[in-house]
Amino acid sequence: MNHTLAIAGRELGSLFVSPVAYVVLTLWSVLAGTFFLSSLIGFDTQIAQASQYGAQEFLAQMNLNDHLITPFFGSMWIVLLFLVPAVTMGLFANEKANGTDELLYTSPIRVWEIVIGKFLAGFAFVGIMTLIVAFFPAILFIYGEPEVGKTAAGLLGLLLVSMSYVGVGALASSLTRNQLIAFVITMVSLLVIGLMLPFIVEVGLGGDSGGGGIGIGPTMRYISTGTHFETLMSGVVDTADLAYFAIVIGVCMVISKSALESVRWR
Amino acid sequence: MAGVVDGVAIEAEGLSKRYGDLEAVRDLSFTVGKGEIVGFLGPNGAGKTTTMRMLTGFLPATDGSAAIAGHDIFADPLNARRAIGYLPETPPLYPEMTVQAYLDFVAKLKDVARGERAQAVSRALDRCGLSDVRRRVIGDLSKGFRQRVGLAQAIVHDPPVLILDEPTVGLDPIQIREIRGLIAELAAPDQGAARHTVILSTHILPEVEAICERIILINRGRKALDQPLSELIAGGQSLEEVFTRATSLDESLDDAPGLATASEAAAAGEEAAP
Repeated sequence: MNHTLAIAGRELGSLFVSPVAYVVLTLWSVLAGTFFLSSLIGFDTQIAQASQYGAQEFLAQMNLNDHLITPFFGSMWIVLLFLVPAVTMGLFANEKANGTDELLYTSPIRVWEIVIGKFLAGFAFVGIMTLIVAFFPAILFIYGEPEVGKTAAGLLGLLLVSMSYVGVGALASSLTRNQLIAFVITMVSLLVIGLMLPFIVEVGLGGDSGGGGIGIGPTMRYISTGTHFETLMSGVVDTADLAYFAIVIGVCMVISKSALESVRWR
Repeated sequence: MAGVVDGVAIEAEGLSKRYGDLEAVRDLSFTVGKGEIVGFLGPNGAGKTTTMRMLTGFLPATDGSAAIAGHDIFADPLNARRAIGYLPETPPLYPEMTVQAYLDFVAKLKDVARGERAQAVSRALDRCGLSDVRRRVIGDLSKGFRQRVGLAQAIVHDPPVLILDEPTVGLDPIQIREIRGLIAELAAPDQGAARHTVILSTHILPEVEAICERIILINRGRKALDQPLSELIAGGQSLEEVFTRATSLDESLDDAPGLATASEAAAAGEEAAP
């Protein structure tokens, strides 16, 4: 445990010494501000139009959660696909490039302690990113009355999605000594599991949205992170979705560990 | 021979390492007694680094076994590693960290107890002459200082066995002398502290004469010679002759590059010698 925390702490410290952390956090904050503002303006316009045409039913359905916060979280999720790879690319690749892996593997520590330490550092970083995003809905609580539970579930969803992306990124980083390669592998994988799969489901398979069943449609739907994120954003915290994220993270950890070990046993 | 050899620090038994068809190290056996300073000698590519990496647990051996301070490196890897201080060929440094923060991190990895950590770090800083640069960022240090940080990293947990892979490579003559002095001091500390067992690899012959008590010469992955230095010198032959003869024993054409490198290295070493 001490080893794990030492490794996580050092990794986090190094991230914040490098420009990468600041570039990522700056971009993230600026984009969060921009998307929040555009969601807010969009919300405002919808209300203005609805009241102009006297669409009372529509007005009654309008609420801050479904028409402002959820679209905002959805936009930030897309940003994650591009920023998380930058955070995770160095996790393992850097150690190999620096030759510091030789220090880690000749110290009296186990490989899983290294792996968990690296994952924890990544989790802490995306935790900070989630907090930045949480700041914006918090403003809404001053001026309006969004649902606390739904907002919190959406934030939890964003955090879990980020954490599973950290897993994918760490796995990619464990495969190579080149940060750029790790970055590209991660981004391509995230685009596939994040955007391509739901797209294939919706368009290619004729919107097979029926829950359950066995087949390509439901399977792809299950694999894509978007599905589970959407459930959480709708305010439903289902153990099935939590299990999904736990499985993704767990599988990434196990494969990373084997990848790190297999290089030396070859 | 000042060494009071009363036990075995390193025991290697039939160590082999194959990379596919390439046999980097073949059936290598040797023992190093407690408190000995052994020079691990051989031309470039002879298998020195591979052997050291197997001893430290970085690379698993294809065959054979080894024990460090009585701990088998496969059956009891954590205790074996705890007993080792290892300076790899490239010092494993994080360029963005300060010297002190780095050594503190290494001390945590090596299980130095929390209460003793500050003391262990300052002792390592002190012994390696790094006290003045403790707050500097490693990436800003000169190569000589970085090598010292590498050495400090190896001794921070005060291990009984030191494994140093080409500790003086790429340094200028003054730095080489300093590092050698440091190694000699570690092996024979003055305040009655426990002697460290040191095994260091090099292809610089004067370096061996300057600090080692015994040499193990390996060539093409096999042990070619294992003898106390005093015996070799008493035999009236220079180390360079021994080296050249041992490395050319199985004279085939592809030995030539190895020989060239060896004599070049010897020449470079002589220039650098104080």
